[in-house]
Amino acid sequence: MSESRNSRLRRPETLTALGIILVAAGFLIPTSNLRAISALLPAAMLIGLIVLSVVLLLADQRTASAGEKAAPVTKAPKRVIGAFLLIVGYALATDFIGFYVSTTVTIPLVAWVFGYRSPLGLLIATVIVVGTIWAIFDFGMSQDFPTGRLWGG
Amino acid sequence: MYSELLHALPDVFALTNFAAVVIGVIAGIVVGAMPGLSATMAISVLVPFTFGLEPLVALGLMAGIYNGAMYGGAIPAVLLRIPGTPAAVATTFDGYPMAQKGEGGFALQVAVVSSAFGGIASAFALMLLAPPLSRVTLLFGPSEVFWVAVFGLASIIFLLGGNPVKGLISACFGVFVSVIGSDPIYGNDRFTFGQLEMLDGINIVILLVGLYALPPVMDLLETPLKTDGVNASKLGTVSIWKALPRMNYWKTWLRGSFIGIWIGILPGAGGSMAAFMSYNEARRTSKTPETWGEGEPEGVAAAEVANNADTASALIPALTLGIPGTAVAAVMLGGLLVHGLQPGPMLFRDNPDIVFGFMWQFLFGAILLILLGGSLATNSFARLLNLPRPLLGSVIIVLMLIGVYSIHGRMFDVYLMLGFGVIGWLMDRLKFPLPPVVLGLILGGFAEENLRLALRIGRGDPMILFQNVTSLVLVALTVAVIVGPTLKKRYVDSRRTA
Repeated sequence: MSESRNSRLRRPETLTALGIILVAAGFLIPTSNLRAISALLPAAMLIGLIVLSVVLLLADQRTASAGEKAAPVTKAPKRVIGAFLLIVGYALATDFIGFYVSTTVTIPLVAWVFGYRSPLGLLIATVIVVGTIWAIFDFGMSQDFPTGRLWGG
Repeated sequence: MYSELLHALPDVFALTNFAAVVIGVIAGIVVGAMPGLSATMAISVLVPFTFGLEPLVALGLMAGIYNGAMYGGAIPAVLLRIPGTPAAVATTFDGYPMAQKGEGGFALQVAVVSSAFGGIASAFALMLLAPPLSRVTLLFGPSEVFWVAVFGLASIIFLLGGNPVKGLISACFGVFVSVIGSDPIYGNDRFTFGQLEMLDGINIVILLVGLYALPPVMDLLETPLKTDGVNASKLGTVSIWKALPRMNYWKTWLRGSFIGIWIGILPGAGGSMAAFMSYNEARRTSKTPETWGEGEPEGVAAAEVANNADTASALIPALTLGIPGTAVAAVMLGGLLVHGLQPGPMLFRDNPDIVFGFMWQFLFGAILLILLGGSLATNSFARLLNLPRPLLGSVIIVLMLIGVYSIHGRMFDVYLMLGFGVIGWLMDRLKFPLPPVVLGLILGGFAEENLRLALRIGRGDPMILFQNVTSLVLVALTVAVIVGPTLKKRYVDSRRTA
């Protein structure tokens, strides 16, 4: 049995193709301000992306009309979203609070959330990783890491 | 031509350069042994850390990781029937049954010796074939270089298999990313949206880490994997010197090496295809094919020799033409660019000590594998499977951030890397190939510069691109690469229906 029209439009490949068409069309606008020779390659690529995405979209819709179900992008969406949020949160925390504080919290937090629950193992791993980073980068190579915008760093 | 190869040898033996290969091989085995992690991911994470290092130290680490990871993939393939890397799938066929019989240790030793044999053969192929090929490519002008770039992109899109539309989308995306920043000739901004950080273009390392490191980390966190714990005492490992006389697989090793080298040179093919072909050929010619699949050590040898034989050989087109044969080779090209080494004919003329030193490092990396095949090392590497995946994931996230931040010392690059990471994860899940993106970024700017130079020489006449035999041969090869797979498929279909 073929999918309903609504669910056919929510297939991952269809959504991806639509997304690419929109973004590529958006990027085409600034090419009009460039010299023709400068715009040649980027415009060719963007138009190529649009045309290819239309082909991808049509092919996916044909597959859908033949009754073939689309495989989900992930089987564990909550875990994936959680992981993405933790990674983005870590980057933001590094930027605003500072590298060492965020790293000391993130290593055990991520491992704990995703199933590694040994407090001693988490403590040892965090001390080893943070200590090694400090010894190699800060002490050995004088590499500065973000100290946190909130503290004026 | 080959005298430069010998001149490069003393530098390779410098303590730091040699230590880099040793560390790389061990790190590669560790990474390869972790299901979900690969040499591509490890080298992507490593590249930004090599900015401040001497080129031969950085390249030694990469060569070591590549060699080590190809063997490391055999450890979970043998002990858990989970290939650590895609190239180790064929190793599971006989490796796992051997482990069930209590011969897991011997299976790993066969894997390590076969991997070393394949790696050594591949390094020799690189040393013998790359220098003369680079001489030929020195004769190329702007229009030929442009067609080489187009041929490289076409081959990785169409020979990689899978959906060519997705391959083309990946390549267009990569080429588009390559044009972001200042125009190389007129200097006007393209798609920088007023961000000063983007004036110099997108650094390839940011793209590599995002595309190749974030998706495996997401996999580590998304899928809890029960490894049941591997008891090293049940492996039945003996000393490598006692195990070696039992390995009489010369024919299989030679055949598998030849297959691996050939597959490595072909753009788009990879270690898994080489391992399958070598395994099938060895089984077909075996006197006892009925024992294969039930724990035949020669099956492990056939798969492992071939997947290591494609390592250095994949760099033959990469170093001479700038066209990588595999995803790892594409990432390695990024590593070369980081050190200001533009792959292609000029690389051999301008930096012979580095490029030939790199070849020696591949050879020594392969030889080192044998030294790591002893019982203590084998049992230790087997224990790696007990490392908790979520902890590993969180450590890699930290390394990704440090690596990307260290390039220019700014958080903007980290956010950009996360953006590419999301795109990479989606592409990975929707089966869009990633190597064309990297190749598009590497070859896009290169192709554009040479196209514009050729058009200037021809005073704007595009026919300049078709005015000599080399260009026409390259155009014909590009057309063959695009049309070939379709014609082959039609031929096979018509024979099936007949």
